[in-house]
Amino acid sequence: MTWVAGIGFAAPWLLLGLLALPIIWILLRAVPPAPKRQIFPAVTLLLGLSDQDSQSDRTPWWLLLLRLTALAAAIIGFAGPVLNPARDAGGSGPLLVALDASWAGASAWPQTQDQITARLEEAGHGNRPVAVLRLSAPTPLQFQAASTWQQQVPGLLPLPWQPGSDQIQRTLAHLEASTEGFDTLWFSDGLAYEGQIALTEALTARGEVTVITSGLPVLGLLPPGLSDGAMDITLLRNPQHLPDAAAKTYQLQAKGRDPGGTPRVLAQAPITFAPDALEANLRLALPAELRARIERFEIAGQTSAGTVALSDDTLRRREVALIAAGADDDDEGLALLSPLHYLRQALIPSADLLEGALTDILPANPDVIVLADVARLAPQAEEALATWVEEGGLLLRFAGPRLAASDTARDSEELLMPVRLRIGGRSIGGAMSWGEPKTLAPFAQGSPFHGLTIPAEVSVSSQVMAQPDPSLASRVIAALEDGTPLVTRKALGRGQVVLFHVTANAEWSSLPLSGLFVRMLERLAVSSAVQTPDAQSLEGTTWQPVAVLDGFGRRMDAATLPGVPGADLVTSATGPALHPGLYQSEGRSLARNTLRPTDVLTAASWDGSVAQSGYDRAAERDLTGLMLGAALVLLSLDVLATLLVSGLLRRPQTIAMIAALGLAQALAAPHSGRAQPLAPDEQPQLDHIDRAAELTLAHVLTGEAAVDRIALAGLTGLTDTLFFRTSVEPAPPVGIDLERDDLAFFPLLYWPVTASQPLPSAAAYARLNTYLRSGGMILFDTRDADLAANGASSPAARRLQQLALPLDIPPLEPLPRDHVLTRAFYLLQDFPGRHPRGALWVEAAPPDAEQVEGIPFRDLNDGVTPVVIGGNDWAAAWAVDADGRPLLPVGRGFSGERQRELALRFGVNLVMHVLTGNYKSDQVHVPALLERLGQ
Amino acid sequence: MSQTAASLAGTPSAALRQNAEREASALPPLLVRAQQLAGSVLSGDHGRRRAGMGDDFWQYRPLQQGDSRQMVDHRRSARGDVQFVRERELQIAQTVHLWIDQGASMRFASSPALPQKIDRARLIGLALSILMLRGGERVGLTGGSLPPKRGNLQVLRLAEALSRDQDQDYAPPEDRAMAPHARALFISDFLGPFAPLEQALSKAADRGVRGVLLQVLDPSEEQFPFGGRTRFESVTGALAHETLKAAGLRDRYLDRLAERRDALNRLCRLAGWHFGQHHSSDSALKSLMWLYHAMDRGRV
Repeated sequence: MTWVAGIGFAAPWLLLGLLALPIIWILLRAVPPAPKRQIFPAVTLLLGLSDQDSQSDRTPWWLLLLRLTALAAAIIGFAGPVLNPARDAGGSGPLLVALDASWAGASAWPQTQDQITARLEEAGHGNRPVAVLRLSAPTPLQFQAASTWQQQVPGLLPLPWQPGSDQIQRTLAHLEASTEGFDTLWFSDGLAYEGQIALTEALTARGEVTVITSGLPVLGLLPPGLSDGAMDITLLRNPQHLPDAAAKTYQLQAKGRDPGGTPRVLAQAPITFAPDALEANLRLALPAELRARIERFEIAGQTSAGTVALSDDTLRRREVALIAAGADDDDEGLALLSPLHYLRQALIPSADLLEGALTDILPANPDVIVLADVARLAPQAEEALATWVEEGGLLLRFAGPRLAASDTARDSEELLMPVRLRIGGRSIGGAMSWGEPKTLAPFAQGSPFHGLTIPAEVSVSSQVMAQPDPSLASRVIAALEDGTPLVTRKALGRGQVVLFHVTANAEWSSLPLSGLFVRMLERLAVSSAVQTPDAQSLEGTTWQPVAVLDGFGRRMDAATLPGVPGADLVTSATGPALHPGLYQSEGRSLARNTLRPTDVLTAASWDGSVAQSGYDRAAERDLTGLMLGAALVLLSLDVLATLLVSGLLRRPQTIAMIAALGLAQALAAPHSGRAQPLAPDEQPQLDHIDRAAELTLAHVLTGEAAVDRIALAGLTGLTDTLFFRTSVEPAPPVGIDLERDDLAFFPLLYWPVTASQPLPSAAAYARLNTYLRSGGMILFDTRDADLAANGASSPAARRLQQLALPLDIPPLEPLPRDHVLTRAFYLLQDFPGRHPRGALWVEAAPPDAEQVEGIPFRDLNDGVTPVVIGGNDWAAAWAVDADGRPLLPVGRGFSGERQRELALRFGVNLVMHVLTGNYKSDQVHVPALLERLGQ
Repeated sequence: MSQTAASLAGTPSAALRQNAEREASALPPLLVRAQQLAGSVLSGDHGRRRAGMGDDFWQYRPLQQGDSRQMVDHRRSARGDVQFVRERELQIAQTVHLWIDQGASMRFASSPALPQKIDRARLIGLALSILMLRGGERVGLTGGSLPPKRGNLQVLRLAEALSRDQDQDYAPPEDRAMAPHARALFISDFLGPFAPLEQALSKAADRGVRGVLLQVLDPSEEQFPFGGRTRFESVTGALAHETLKAAGLRDRYLDRLAERRDALNRLCRLAGWHFGQHHSSDSALKSLMWLYHAMDRGRV
């Protein structure tokens, strides 16, 4: 291989062809272009004029340059150019490529693979046999040709653990099994692990060792912890580059599914390493609802199992039991006085609520039990409740008139009461007392509420008072401005008991009315979270992996991986027997992350016996294809340019030929992104925008082509009529597929009923009912003119009964003569379509509707009738063809035209009725109202 | 019998009418543009400033010997004892002959933005005809294909006659059937052979016909903006001239064009005609105004 300017050539002698370029220049430039054809009537004046200057026209210099460049590119291309050709690195004999292949190197893995490829290529040029060894999954050494290993490089992937003592032992055994000496290239991930030194010694004994590191920092995300309602996130980095480690910010992403089930980033926050710090901390406070949805934390831009922290039960939605004394709030009127009302409102978004008797609830083992103004419990219940608290439950109590009046916790401190209470409590700022209602004092340091802002409007007018006590001060977590306790807490076993000294409703204080109440509850409910179990409590359990992480932190199905003993799950380091991932046992789920909470990252240290190197090998690139491609492109440009210069480009047939060639190329291109059809949900989106922008009439597609065609033509006719006569200017009508289309955009649906029409699906009926309830109107047209005939029934009418059965249709009545539909725009008493005088059914007036003050029609219910049913085949009477002429004959002669006119008027009235409701009906009352005002 | 006759008569007349409608559909644009152009020229009175045949009042004069009794204007005469005759101003209709070159060489425009020369020639010719007809003159084509007549209907006939293209590359001027002492307007590019034009003009001068030559040229014919190896062809392709370096011909071409123009000028001076030029890139109105006054000058 020969070198020219950093590029190697396989056949350098071909480059001599470049010397021929000047000769080609001289040859090419003498050829004149073809003449231009120019129509010129004044040619008569030109006849007989000869060229004085007989010099031939030259090819333009830029065209020559283009051709020569193409030629030069072809010559260079055939000479076999190679960028960054592999150089002989020296050394001979077998080569061992050892890889740490742990999660720590996963983020830089693509670069590592490039480096491995480059090194293998070098070894291949030197004809050295190569063995590749992943230390995280050691296999016996196999010395093979470098090209064999090169094919396997894409399959060399990092594993989500570091080489443990087990793997080191096996590696040492494999090394000993090999008889010959070899040099070693060791791709280290930059982290120290147990046995690294022993391994180094074993390798240096066999030959020269070179350690190659990427030099990129290694990050590790510790499992998130929860304290006081916020998540503590800790990010570690390896101390390798500490001397010049600057402040560095990473983006922490919390990912999970949104309420629609779509995976997305739920929260994002910057996490910053201070200069020289090995650890970065972040407190992330999220709404409980959001927090419960988080599935994993990641560092943006890092693809390593070490920068992924899975979440489990610790962040899940809590169960809260609400119990009130004599909770009997069936009467809606007293809802705001119910002691549980505000609690319910505050907790519903973030917790699952349980309500019922205490004895029924306790077996469900809720996270929190709220007792609102419960003074006394049955002894048995009290005992069970105390046991539950001691096992980690949070008991939240609220005071109230009952508690104040009872003798609970008067003489001695009770188990389920944080403090002793004084008799009767106190009332401040009332009609019978001095002083103003008290406001809250700022929350003290150490209180779980510390940091919450107190709204100025929160005031307390009544409370139960705590007996002064030596232990009282330590139990107060919120106090009033005069120092009297508002919230007290005491620990009981692993759980705690909290007492609010006011009621849970707004009777004693305005606290439940404020946002502070919700945030206080949130803080308290969070502190009752399930703690991560320790090894002791997991002794004897077996945990089954549900999903595990691969080296890049991607979630994989656990498939047939065996179960893991509970103690190992918490204490052991990850390895082939313990994949990081999500484990389950008996309904509990536990996340095992790559790092344990106590892990630290230590940089690997190497002694002088090994050489060190970075990622400095650039991969070989064969430029032959590039150069030949460039030559081809230039030559095709030359074709165009030649046509341009010779004036042939303007001929239509030339343009057609070029277009055909271009088309052929476009078709031959392997991936044509534009050829893909529109994504299925994009088209409806476009329609939605159009339909929402303009009023549009719509008909239901029945599946019978003739009926649908007439319906569309009919609505077109009605649209035109509305356009000409009224200020309603609808867009062209559309056909609606009930299964697919959104109905919300259409004020009126015309539904021609055919006997063969399929019934809509349940989902379509649900949408239709929503449509009717939200003010839509459907005009059913049986098109048989005999719906109203006594006792007669047609197939279409029977089908209509089946169709309308699941619909939410109110009672109907034949259209009364004073219905607003008879005077919404035109005064009408007859509603013919193609058939005259069929009855029309609309929603019945309520039984108490009356004629008002002699005005000839009733004060109808405020709203539009949701359905209008008839059989006069209106669409056929409205239908127009493309030129706006009536499509079908109606009646005979002039009376027929009159009938068509009345049909159109009915359509106009119908649309007006839909759009204006009973406005016309109200308008009738205006004179009466004005008359009254005048008096 | 009658049915047969009707069907026999119906077929050709239907075809004729169809043809006529098709032809007529081509007319309106030209007509409308010509009317519009003509409308922008304010036509004044063409009164001859003496008594004669006409519509406008000229003077009352006493009844003379030989006047018929019918001529007495009784409204004026009833005021006194003398009988008066009401005289009207003399208005003489002139005859104008029009020749517009319909040859293929006129169907040329150097760029799509410009009108073809023939369009311009027809537009100007028809607009002037409209003005003349409005002035009460008789307008027709040379050569007897459309004899001079007056009235609005003549506009339609002219428009139709002017819409017929000729296949010939350079049409010779039509000089037959010109009325003596009439006016004439020849519109062409005058790039064809010179002898027929000379002959036509001398014949016209012999018959006392005076008029105007209007040369319509495309800007490219005036500037010759060509270069490189070029093959120049006439519109039909009958004539061709190929050059290796078109730019080198420019000066000599312009000389020849000026020469041709001088020859035309000289010829007009000898025959008592006016010579004007029009470029298809210029406004048609300017030339129409010039033509209108040139025709007027010739008349007074």
